[in-house]
Parts: sequence; C-alpha cells; structure tokens
Amino acid sequence: MMTAYIKPLPVAKPWSKKFWEAARQHKLIMQKCSDCGKLIFYPRKVCPECWSSNVGWIDVSGKGKVLMMTTTIAGVEQAFAPDLPYVLAVVELEEGVHMMTNIVDCKPEDVKIGMAVEVVFRDCTDEISLPVFRPIQGRGSER
Amino acid sequence: MSKGKIAIVGIGEVPTGWYPERDEWDIIYDSCMEAVRDAGINKNEIEGVLCSPAVGQARLDSELVFGKLPEELGLKGCKDIASVNAGGSTSANLLRVAEQWISSGTAKIVLLMHATKYSSIDPNDLIKTFATAGMSMEWEYPFGTTYNGMIAMSTQRFMYENNITAEEMASIPVAFRKWAELDPNAMFRKPLTVEKTLSTRMISTPLHSMECNMLADGGAAIIVTSPEIARKICKTPVYKLGEGSRYCQATITQRTSSMMDRMYREAAAAAFKQAGLSIKDMSILELYCAYSLLMPILLVTLGVCKNGKDAVRFIAEGNTWPGGQLPCSTIGDALSRGHTGSGVGFAYLVETVRQLMGKAGDRQVKDCKYVMMNCAGGSGMNMIFEIFGRNS
Repeated sequence: MMTAYIKPLPVAKPWSKKFWEAARQHKLIMQKCSDCGKLIFYPRKVCPECWSSNVGWIDVSGKGKVLMMTTTIAGVEQAFAPDLPYVLAVVELEEGVHMMTNIVDCKPEDVKIGMAVEVVFRDCTDEISLPVFRPIQGRGSER
Repeated sequence: MSKGKIAIVGIGEVPTGWYPERDEWDIIYDSCMEAVRDAGINKNEIEGVLCSPAVGQARLDSELVFGKLPEELGLKGCKDIASVNAGGSTSANLLRVAEQWISSGTAKIVLLMHATKYSSIDPNDLIKTFATAGMSMEWEYPFGTTYNGMIAMSTQRFMYENNITAEEMASIPVAFRKWAELDPNAMFRKPLTVEKTLSTRMISTPLHSMECNMLADGGAAIIVTSPEIARKICKTPVYKLGEGSRYCQATITQRTSSMMDRMYREAAAAAFKQAGLSIKDMSILELYCAYSLLMPILLVTLGVCKNGKDAVRFIAEGNTWPGGQLPCSTIGDALSRGHTGSGVGFAYLVETVRQLMGKAGDRQVKDCKYVMMNCAGGSGMNMIFEIFGRNS
C-alpha cells in the first residue's frame, strides 16, 4: 500500500501540464519549437529562443549522465528528513538538456560524476510521478 | 576628467552574529546614526533614503517599504525613500539608484542601509525560507534542493574538473577566518585549521558544516553624495570608479561553467575599462563568495591565477591572508562573518570604504588605493564587479 506522500509536489504551470501527464504514464517528453527547432526544458509558454507559440512535444531518450551531484546528509526541511541521505543531482540528457533530479536505486557513495543513468518514475500521488534517475547496469562512468 | 560620479563619505555597522535581544530597529538606529556621525553631517541634510530588502522578514521589509525609517529617525530634510531589491547584489543597485538621485538633483545626500534579524525566526521556518527562496517550485524544490546542496553540487563538479582534494578546498574557509580573527564585527573569530574544518559534520557532500554559512543578524549604513560635496565635507571620500555586470540565468540547470566563465570575464572587463584600471592596480579584492567555491573561480576569472588548481594553491599558500601579496575578502566572507540575507554584499561595500578611508584597524591594508568588489544575487543569477578608489 502506498503511504501518504508528505514531500512538496511540483506546482505545475498551464504549459507544463502535458509534461506531468506524460510523466504519470512514465514517459519523459520535452517541448520542441516547431519554428526554430530548439529543444526546451523546462517548459515555457512560448519558445524562449524565438518567442514562437508554435511549440510541440517530443519523446526523449530518458538516458544521460550525471553532470553534478551531492549526497544530502543534513540541513533539510522535515518533509525530506526521512529520506536522508539522498542524492541530489543534475543530469545531462543525451539530447543536451539539464534536469534537477535524484539518483535512486543505488548507494549514494556509488554515484559518480559522469555515470550513465536512465529515467525512472517515482509515483507520488494519483496525478504526479517525478522523473528521477538510476544507474544503467553494465555501463560505467565516462572516467 | 574625473570618473567618479558619486562618493561615499560615512559608514556605520553593527556586529554580525546571533543577537536575539537586539531589536531590528536597534540595528537600524545604531548603524544609521554611526554613518551620519562618521560623515560629519547633520541628520536633516539627508535628502534620500534607500533600503535593502529584509529577506525572509516580512514585517521589517514592509515597514521599510512603507517608509518608516525617515519618520522613526526624524530625518526632517528627507525628500524620498525607496527599497531596492536585487538579492545579494542589492548593494551595487542601491548605489546605482543613489547615483541617479544625486546626478538628477533629487537628493544631494543619500543614506543607504541594510538590516537583518534572523535570530528570532524559528530555525525550521528559516530552512524552509531558504529552501524555497527563488527555487523553482516545479523543477527543483520537489527533489529536495537546498542552497547548501546547490553549492555542494557545483563544488563537487569544480573539484572533479580541476582535480582538487577536500584538504585543498578546506584551505579556503581558513583563509577567510584569518581576516575574521581580526574583525570585531565577525560572527566566528576563533582560529581555524584545515583539519578542524574537515572534522566538522558533513552537510551535503563535499561540504562540511564549516564550509556552509550560518545565517546571522546584522546591519550597516553608508552616506553617499556627489564628489563636489564630498571633497568639501570629507577628508577621505571614496569614489566609485567603474562597474560591470552580466546576467547569468536564475536556475542552476540553465547554466554551464563555460557560460559563467565568459559572463564573469565580460563583467570584470567592463568594470576595469570604465575605471581605466587593471587587476595590477588593485590593493584588495573584496570577493563576495558566500561559500568557498567562488573564491578560486573569481581568482581565475580576474586573471590572478591560471586555473582552479593554481587558485586553490594560491589561497592555501596564504597569498590572500592578512600580510599576503593580494589581500582578499577582508571581512572573512559569509563563512566567518555570518550570512545576513541581502547584507553580505553591503558588508563588503562598507569594508571596501573602510579600507580606502584607512579605518580598518588591525585589518588595514597598507597604502590601499583601489579596491575591486563583486556581488551576486540569487543562487548566482548575476555578477557585478565594482571598483572604488581614493582618487576620483
């Protein structure tokens, strides 16, 4: 049985609703400008490159590598305290965009910069699943 | 032609630290009165007041925005008051507004102030305030971001790219503390070592508690006027000679280290160009770092060191300490001084003036002619460099 989720949930903007609907289906999608071709993350009302409103959505690989990471040990809000220690990270997707996330399904001390990771979804509520990342088995780090 | 369009003629500051018994208006009275007395002016000569935001203190912030200060202090010549909020880069923006008021004739003499009191706020509320301040509630906060965590990630990346050890990084809080030991307004003044730093509790890898700043109460004020008036009323006016700034994106995921490097270099170059000076002319670099990481990055940006590894070695060898070849961050930065919200950049401005006026006591850098300081807002949303000097 799922216990009540006590951590803060994302406060979605009107133009990011599709992202969270897809995440609930365990799919990672990104905005792409149909005019200038820019891949956009995080979602915007218009393309930040050319201000076009002609912005669509594409599936992305969900694979990338750890660009930055820290193991959080202390100094967090009470809602996050039961999770300590947890890994906060910025992942660079193969498509080039950077996402703030957590690295899961491994020991914090095993997470390294450059490590290959793939998206998995943390089901928080009936509406929200958060994209987090786990190491890709059998693929080492870049260094 | 004279480059300085404004001059600072008086400073006042209360000690930074944890003072639950000291009312926030005590801080304002004491620092503003000291600045007025230091400038040798009458309080009624102040024609404009510019306030820093009281970050995370809704009551005090609204009192300042609603114009209470001139009434409370009886500033009978005051023509206008405003609050200016650019987070940690507020002090530089207060000076920009002061310059406009002075050059347009709105006010001949302007009082700039900052006051913060965190000691009476519940620690959990403080953690929450700073866990959410400026963070994306959609793309960052749900993952358990903290300011310590953001800086920790960037620090880890810097150490990885530059092959730097924990011991080497720990020499930076030590360098800050060397100055704080000599500063009666600093929060932490006991001697610190690399070993001691690394023996403190790990907060967010690779940052130990001694590498994370502590929120504190504090406040300061300065008096700003035109160079013409300054020369008449002050023996040691301090002139603002140049500035440069760049916007660097609000969210950490929207930045890259190469983008930041370019922005910082462009901002610094603009400041040097405006002042007609170079890094070699600087007697002190008042580097506002908030954590250890920015100090080596700025030393590379400013061309003092070749790369991150060299910069950390430069710091560890004592070159930025009291008596070193290039004194840096002479208030001990936020790590030793204490973090007063939007006030650390203000404290650096006060220290810059203090050093150039020759009033820095045990920390006085000999023959101090020109000082460069920097400040930045948010989690590094911008970078501003300013150059000040004794000569206009």
